[in-house]
Amino acid sequence: MLFNSLDYLFFLPIVVILYYLLPHKYRWVLLFVSSCLFYMAFIPKYILVLFAIIGIDYSAAIWMEKLQGKARKRLLLISLFANVGILAFFKYFGFANQTLIDLFALFGKEFKYYDLGIMLPIGLSFHTFQSMSYTIEVYRGQQKAEKHLGYFANYVLFFPQMVAGPIERYATLGEELRKKQTLNYQNLSAGFRLALLGFVVKMAIADQLAPFVNQVYANPAAHNQLQVVAALAFFAFQIYADFFGYSLIAQGSARLLGIHIMDNFKTPYFAKSVGEFWRRWHISLSTWFRDYLYIPLGGNRVSTWRWALNTLIVFGISGLWHGANWTFIIWGLLHGIFLLLEKPLKRYANTLSTFLLVCFAWVFFRAPDFPSALQILKGVCTNASIKYTWLDYWTPLMAVVLLFLLEFSYRKERFDQLLERLPFITRWGIYFVLIFLLLALSGTQKFTFIYFQF
Amino acid sequence: MIKKLLLRFLVLSVGLVLMNGIYKFFFYQKDLRAFSPEIIEVWKKQRKNDILYFAESSNMNVRDTDLIKKSISELTDDLLPQFRIGAVNKPATHAGIYKEWIKNMRRPYPSAIVVTLNVRSFGADWRYSELESALQSGVVLLKPYPALANRFLLALNDFDNKPAALREQEMLKEWEEVRFDFPFKVPYPTVRLWDNAMANGSFIKADGSRDMDKITLACHYVKSYAFQIRPDNPRVRDFDEIVAFCQKNNIRLVFNLLAENTAYAHQYVGKELVQIMRYNRNFLVKRYSQKKGITVVDNLELLGGLDYSDQNWTTEHYGYEGRLKIAQNLAIALQ
Repeated sequence: MLFNSLDYLFFLPIVVILYYLLPHKYRWVLLFVSSCLFYMAFIPKYILVLFAIIGIDYSAAIWMEKLQGKARKRLLLISLFANVGILAFFKYFGFANQTLIDLFALFGKEFKYYDLGIMLPIGLSFHTFQSMSYTIEVYRGQQKAEKHLGYFANYVLFFPQMVAGPIERYATLGEELRKKQTLNYQNLSAGFRLALLGFVVKMAIADQLAPFVNQVYANPAAHNQLQVVAALAFFAFQIYADFFGYSLIAQGSARLLGIHIMDNFKTPYFAKSVGEFWRRWHISLSTWFRDYLYIPLGGNRVSTWRWALNTLIVFGISGLWHGANWTFIIWGLLHGIFLLLEKPLKRYANTLSTFLLVCFAWVFFRAPDFPSALQILKGVCTNASIKYTWLDYWTPLMAVVLLFLLEFSYRKERFDQLLERLPFITRWGIYFVLIFLLLALSGTQKFTFIYFQF
Repeated sequence: MIKKLLLRFLVLSVGLVLMNGIYKFFFYQKDLRAFSPEIIEVWKKQRKNDILYFAESSNMNVRDTDLIKKSISELTDDLLPQFRIGAVNKPATHAGIYKEWIKNMRRPYPSAIVVTLNVRSFGADWRYSELESALQSGVVLLKPYPALANRFLLALNDFDNKPAALREQEMLKEWEEVRFDFPFKVPYPTVRLWDNAMANGSFIKADGSRDMDKITLACHYVKSYAFQIRPDNPRVRDFDEIVAFCQKNNIRLVFNLLAENTAYAHQYVGKELVQIMRYNRNFLVKRYSQKKGITVVDNLELLGGLDYSDQNWTTEHYGYEGRLKIAQNLAIALQ
């Protein structure tokens, strides 16, 4: 089920009402059933993949607690291999096939393509990573194994954040799901604010930018330099608004149930360096990689060369995590390289240079393949023309201005928290502006959330 | 807390009413022009004409060689100087779309409306067309909800907006599963089997090779016309709604049942297909003319094969003579 659908706008209030009507001990059943229904609105049979992940990690964690030494480690590895194996099978099988075909072709040989006819289960990268973080924490002894299968299943399945994060740790979300929540005005009000803001950011900003960006990326050669440059910048805002909007709706939906989930973004485009950008962008993924890959590899407490290698490995894998395509790997590696270069060139790093570097890397993220990305970059440097009118850019520009206003207020304090402190009249005045933007000025083409494909 | 929530709910409700007013005043017309320009056309034409003519491409399409390029509605207008006839056309439109336009006409209503009844539009080939999503998006703003709610439904794409692949799947399923139940014999029980047989047909060129153009056309005739209109057909329900609206509002309703190329249907597929076309025509004439008292202008077999401008497809596009004949038939009915 998509957040930006009428189905969800009915589904969520029904779940919230039932949740508070039910006694605490039965609420996990409601959350489990509603999360399954939410997920099964996409491709119903793929719920079995999630059940498999839940079954493997739930059992592995319980056994792991009883074991020590190598046996414990072996169990962790089995669990990790199973998770990564599922991910690899669904997400990277086609990519591996295509890479082999290309490699064989280099040597004039032919490699047969094996088409399994499978589609990637929506959000698989998110729930495998979330579930893996749990088993790793249990292995490290930092988390007790959850004995209640229902609670663990809800941790993996929790519908507000199951398909595109934030990737939560069991210590936070697991505990939140266990807590006895009571109906209170503050949660309802905060949930409403967050969700409203999320819908506005997604539908009135991201979806207003998407048609322009899609048009240029579909045929860069048919557009002049200014249009290509605009599309590059607009995509940076589109993907942010798209993912940030999703995260806000996720937070708002969870908050309506009294459950707090983490902030996944902190005004990333105000970052003064690429390193800072990654502390503000998709925070749950960055911290996942930091805790479970970068630090175990040695982090920065190693020689400079090893640190550089570690950085490139982490960013390369982060790129691959996003999508099974070389363009994503290039995108990840570019960020790794930027980060490495930032150290000697620190004094040149500022908000503008960081934004420009991030925009440059987004080209590889957005383009369907490497030649298309090069064509976009060529479009940035050629085909200068003044044949445009401001009118062409009116809607996307307004969307960017709106995003900037929201971001500006977010710099010091989360916008929803800022709203909470305002007097009733001002607060409701802002609500009405937001509601009006959402109802009257949202994009008229519906786009699924970009991160749903991962 | 309940008191607090109720107060906020009240404030929100008042705010929504105000916002709806603001939207209607400042933005609605612009959105209508962008997404439902036909309704603006309807309102414009309503003011200037006595009769409104609703049609798909049959009314706009002319043959390149035609010296007179007038549409069916214009020719009818010429034939009836006592009436002013205005047309609202959109390619691939059908009763489900006309219904929304007609229900959204402004008072005073025209004295009569003519709606094209296109037999083909009842079949799976048309109902599951990939053009349907675009057509449906054009009427979301006309739904009977507050304007602001309609705008939000448009943003949510809350209309029949299935992907083309899914529509094709549904169409293939219908062709495969729905069995004919005619009171006469047809050579195959389903569209799929009939289509397969046509695809293996024996249209041979002079050089002895299979004439694929003719085979493709024969298959297309089967897919376009081999179906049985039943009372639960969605288009029948749409037409029923048009009838009910017109009867309630004392608007004279004329169904202009378009001509189909029965000559080629017979030539490429066989007499059974023509029998099916006649069966469906009879169903519509009986349902609307005899049972509901609506004027149905029956043009089904009015034209010869060469009157159609598309000689290699099953469209209802006519040359000048064809358009004139239909206009004459319609003029007689409207008099």
